[in-house]
Amino acid sequence: MRPILLSGHERSLNQIKFNRDGDLLFSVAKDKIVCAWWSANGERLGTYNGHQGAIWTVDVSPNTVLLATGSADNTVRLWNVKTGECIKVWDFPTAVKRVEFTPDGSRLLAVTEKRMGFLGTIAVLDINYEDLEAQAEEPSLRITCTESKATVAGWSYLAKYIIAGHEDGSVSQYDSKTGEQLENVQAHEFDNLISDIQFSADRTYFITASKDKSAKLISSRNLAILKTYVADTPLNSAAITPKKEYVILGGGQAAMDVTTTSARQGKFEARFYHKVFEDEIGRVRGHFGPLNTVAVHPNGTAYASGGEDGYVRVHHFDKPYFDFMYEVEREQLRK
Amino acid sequence: MSKLANRADWADDEEFDDPSALPAQQVTTNKDGTKTVVSYRFNDEGKKVKVTRRIKTTVVREHVNPQVAERRSWAKFGLEKGHAPGPSFDTTSVGENIAFRPSINWKAQAAEAEKNGGEKGSMKDQLKDKKVKCRICSGEHFTARCPFKDTMAPVDEPTAGGAGEDDEAAAGAVGTGSGSYVPPHLRKGAAGGGERMGGKFEKDDLATLRVTNVSELAEEGELRDLFERFGRVTRVFLARDRETQRAKGFAFISFADRSDAARACEKMDGFGYRHLILRVEFAKRTT
Repeated sequence: MRPILLSGHERSLNQIKFNRDGDLLFSVAKDKIVCAWWSANGERLGTYNGHQGAIWTVDVSPNTVLLATGSADNTVRLWNVKTGECIKVWDFPTAVKRVEFTPDGSRLLAVTEKRMGFLGTIAVLDINYEDLEAQAEEPSLRITCTESKATVAGWSYLAKYIIAGHEDGSVSQYDSKTGEQLENVQAHEFDNLISDIQFSADRTYFITASKDKSAKLISSRNLAILKTYVADTPLNSAAITPKKEYVILGGGQAAMDVTTTSARQGKFEARFYHKVFEDEIGRVRGHFGPLNTVAVHPNGTAYASGGEDGYVRVHHFDKPYFDFMYEVEREQLRK
Repeated sequence: MSKLANRADWADDEEFDDPSALPAQQVTTNKDGTKTVVSYRFNDEGKKVKVTRRIKTTVVREHVNPQVAERRSWAKFGLEKGHAPGPSFDTTSVGENIAFRPSINWKAQAAEAEKNGGEKGSMKDQLKDKKVKCRICSGEHFTARCPFKDTMAPVDEPTAGGAGEDDEAAAGAVGTGSGSYVPPHLRKGAAGGGERMGGKFEKDDLATLRVTNVSELAEEGELRDLFERFGRVTRVFLARDRETQRAKGFAFISFADRSDAARACEKMDGFGYRHLILRVEFAKRTT
């Protein structure tokens, strides 16, 4: 497979996201612009300009009408995907590390940083699609993380729960209506922050990536750990692939140690594990810095990775990827 | 050049007038449905380049979600505003091909590929079974660290000011031994006079005749016929004018054997050929 290299950013990537149809890809980096790309050919559709600081996170509404970004300039911005105009700015006391739309797009959560005396919070904003300009000023729900700040969060199936990953390596489940904490599980080793959380297509389970060099597949309903994928490097991102039963992990030597390691030792590769058997089945190299973010096309035909090196690489899978099967899978198929 | 009047002068023909003008692009449709496009452009050096492209058009029908199709028509915005459709080269490029085939035991395969492909490995691996050896005492330390460094010379190297034979060997290398600089062609082992250009004609110098006062209309074949009567001729060279291709009036004939050459020289000197009397002598070695 020939990767498409997207070099629209001048600094390291923070997050990339496909829209629900998979035709568009959004990327945010430490420079102040958001880029929208056609995933098929790597053409840049446009940029969303207006943020005053590094952009940590991006998400697109399921109908690809609105784009939300969270930035180090303490704002969440809502953009019109088609025109690139900024529709709404919400100010927060601290930087916003993660935003995510509910599966129906009616609500948006924003995870804020713990800093300057402010505790980390998860704020829920209601989104109005009737009149895009008229958005609620105040969050409809605010969850304060008193114990350990949340680093990442997402919505479970039917937006029933909010699942958050914390700095201390624990995963917690909140009721999305009341904000009450229902469960808290120490999924990863203590004090190894959870760097990414990505859900399966139906949002009944999710994968977490952690600095403790492992990724875990966890059930949304009761936070039971289903699978564990062990890597040899701190992980920054993990994604579940539809169509084939794989997971993709991205990571590498921490950015601050990169200059002292060679590309080979740095482990700057996307790692593919079999979702069920937990075996590593292959790696894709190409980045010359750690992978900060990995995203999979909703149809499972491609994946994109964004690295500390400032590049986004879009890989469209070819035949061997789809052909690979375990012997037991083949036997099942024959029956 | 300025046109004085409206009169069209043949010398002011437009094509010559404007060297930067390019012929128009030509498109021809071939029988098999392909198109041939011939266009002209200037390359980086300012030279005119003709580009011929054969284009085959294949229509690929794809069914997409109507929403996706609607999005395809979106105009570019932000930094891309006003840019032409299609990926731009400064943001999008295609990387080198990556062979990705998942396998259960990829770790073992990767290790094997590393072994076969990465011949070099690390420097440490290469030198794993190499030992440090002193050139003076053959001990396991660097020569510079040898305790006998000041009192003994390296084992294999000749001592300075040794016997005659040694001395000559030493002269072979630059800057060793006591002797002064010896130019390469005088060093031992160097071929007599070093290499000389055109060396392949060198050896038959002794059996080469110089023929002068040759007719302008002479031919190499005729000369060969004339001289072959005395023995095997290895080479006939007739000097010709570069432009007119006429003979310049002298030639060289090389024989395989010097005695044949001597006989030919004796007989042919003063021979009448094409109204001129040849003068034959042994060629002198060029200096």
